[in-house]
Amino acid sequence: MDPGGAILEADRIPGDAGRVLTRGARGGYVSLRLVARLARPGPYSLDVQWSDAGLESDLFREWFHWTEPEKRYYPDALIPVKTPYRSELPEPDNRIPKQSAQSFWMDVWIPATARPGMYRGAVRLEADGATVTRPIELTALPAVVPGQEAVTMDHNSYGSSWIGGLYPAARARGGERFFESDEFFSLIHSYHRLFHEHGGVFHQLGYGHGGKVGLEYAPELAGTGRNKRVKSWRLYDRHYGPLLDGSALAGTRRGARPVPFVYLPINPEWPASFLWWGEPGYEAEFVNVVGEMERHFREKGWTQTVFEVFFNHKKRYKAFPWDGDESRFPEDNKYFHEYARLLKKAVPAGSPVNFRFRSDSSWMMERQFQELAGVVDFWVLGSSMVSWYKDAPRMLKQRGDIVWIYGGTPSVQASAAAVTFAPFQCWMWDADGYVRWLTTSPGEDPWFRFEGGDTVMAYPGERFGVEGPIPSIRLKVQRNAVQDLTLLESLGKSRGIEELRAEASRRYNGAAAEDWWPPRPEIAGMPAQEMTNTTIGENTTAVKRLEETVNAGSWVELRKWILTLAAEAR
Amino acid sequence: MKRILVFLFCSAALCLSQESRTGADLGRDLDEIARVATAMVDGDACRRIVTKRALEFMDKKDSGDPWIGADNFDVHHEPYIQVKKTLMRLAKLAPFPVDVNLWMPVEGMEGRIQVLIRNKHEMSQFWRWGALQQELFPPMKTVLEEARRVTVTEKPGWVSVLAPVHDSLGDVVGLVEVVSRTEWDAQKNVK
Repeated sequence: MDPGGAILEADRIPGDAGRVLTRGARGGYVSLRLVARLARPGPYSLDVQWSDAGLESDLFREWFHWTEPEKRYYPDALIPVKTPYRSELPEPDNRIPKQSAQSFWMDVWIPATARPGMYRGAVRLEADGATVTRPIELTALPAVVPGQEAVTMDHNSYGSSWIGGLYPAARARGGERFFESDEFFSLIHSYHRLFHEHGGVFHQLGYGHGGKVGLEYAPELAGTGRNKRVKSWRLYDRHYGPLLDGSALAGTRRGARPVPFVYLPINPEWPASFLWWGEPGYEAEFVNVVGEMERHFREKGWTQTVFEVFFNHKKRYKAFPWDGDESRFPEDNKYFHEYARLLKKAVPAGSPVNFRFRSDSSWMMERQFQELAGVVDFWVLGSSMVSWYKDAPRMLKQRGDIVWIYGGTPSVQASAAAVTFAPFQCWMWDADGYVRWLTTSPGEDPWFRFEGGDTVMAYPGERFGVEGPIPSIRLKVQRNAVQDLTLLESLGKSRGIEELRAEASRRYNGAAAEDWWPPRPEIAGMPAQEMTNTTIGENTTAVKRLEETVNAGSWVELRKWILTLAAEAR
Repeated sequence: MKRILVFLFCSAALCLSQESRTGADLGRDLDEIARVATAMVDGDACRRIVTKRALEFMDKKDSGDPWIGADNFDVHHEPYIQVKKTLMRLAKLAPFPVDVNLWMPVEGMEGRIQVLIRNKHEMSQFWRWGALQQELFPPMKTVLEEARRVTVTEKPGWVSVLAPVHDSLGDVVGLVEVVSRTEWDAQKNVK
């Protein structure tokens, strides 16, 4: 929808498939788009009322972002508003000349305990002395969306300095101690809450390519060599304590629970100094400190979170001689073996604390599956190249490994359904999750000179009086897609998951199940150093074509079918 | 009481050393480290770091693959680690955050230089994020040609002292950038 009330071209649904489905499973959301269109500029009010108790609705005003390349507006950021919402058109803060329409996103939450059946409500628009009322009829199905998502959608970020940049008023209030203030930690936790509430998880990598660790990402250390020890958990526990005991997520609809995944600050320079690499001191520092971490986590009862040992550095950034991320050179695998040895020495066998060794692999993933078996047990795989290795997800999961895919985020210029591709692809590939590599970076001026948003899914809410992030349309669409897949997967117990996948694929973009695993190309068996991005691109066109066939109607068709199955299920 | 006063004095001094050194103080301290670096850094080992294959790809152009040089950047681990450890030891000479970076002319590419080893705080007045190699900066050219130290304070609040690195033949084969900032930023480069 644009500020003139017209549906954006990418979001027009072919045929008449665009009928709004006002039904949903319990323990899930139904979302509606409302448009207030006025004949002339002036004040208006919008209200939503439910005749029946039991549902909860949230209303968001859609911000129209001006994008310079296309010279047009796209809605994405969602500003929470209270009902009745009273404003005027043109909306003063969005500053759009001749704006004649304002769109709203409405989430309706159907609690798992809600009564199945019909719920009635109405939307009322008042403007220019007239009132227009539109009835809403929403059917809550008996089916309940399971609490554990079929696919974990992960939203990645790097460090914390961006928080100071996106929240200048909070930064100014906190002064020099901002990065140790309650407000700072509250902001971090608010990002976790937002993504948790949207069926996903949030990651913050706490160290740089050279090994510098942010103060809030690691315990403070003291000493050197055999005397290196944890000096203080003060900032670490303020940051992670509420996340790891779940209290930071209290009050959300999905409920308080410990965050499922978290990066550790471990890197080649922390906790052991690289100065001692290859010497006894390196092992002593690593084992002492990581051992203390295990004890601390165990004593705190932080046993429901996966603590990830993950190396993000690359030799091209010139700080270390090997690639921790997207390794391309076989001799780099020896470092993974060494860290696995050190980790094994630091963490007692049978520890209830869940340490996992994560590798983000692409170039030589197939080789690493073999050479790092028993070393790496958490794989995050380059999205295009996975399609060459059909047996990989199943093989890795059978040995107890976690399998995620990584990639980017569609920009606002793509169809609204483009953001569903990643979770759907994961589900078709039987992967556990998907990492969107950067989701908190809105660009220099997201409000009036937007760059498209392919690195943001949550915007800073400060300019709207919200002390934390606000969601985006793409985040909402993604949440709903994951919710539908989760519901669908729960139905697989009676129908068979492969049968469901085949039919879901057909309805989603017309693809056959086997289209998701194109024939293995010759390049898949070549040494990584003989591959280039060009040859990879030439050999992953089949999967790219699948993505290109997704249009605004893709998920409408699929959702209709899922809800029909859910309605029929007993 | 005396003990308390001494403690307070030490705390204040540490605070100053970590957070708000003047450019002149910094320049003196860094220059001393740079002087030692010239004596300590093994130029022959530095020359052995980059692999021949990485050099071949360094200026390769592929319109469909803008990362072809970076994807093929590789080093010989042994000399890399040996030199990096020396640089790390040099940085420890200061009681405040310092990085000692190694810069080497790119073999076969006249007028080009590359940072080859960076360190923990990722400080540099010269490195552009992600650059494999860059045009030789005039102060670096001076160091390479005249075999003398040069102090650079171009970026406000930054001080770099560039010092020559010699090999066993006595030739200047590269340089170190000993760098720090007058104001410390704990959040910077955690990404």
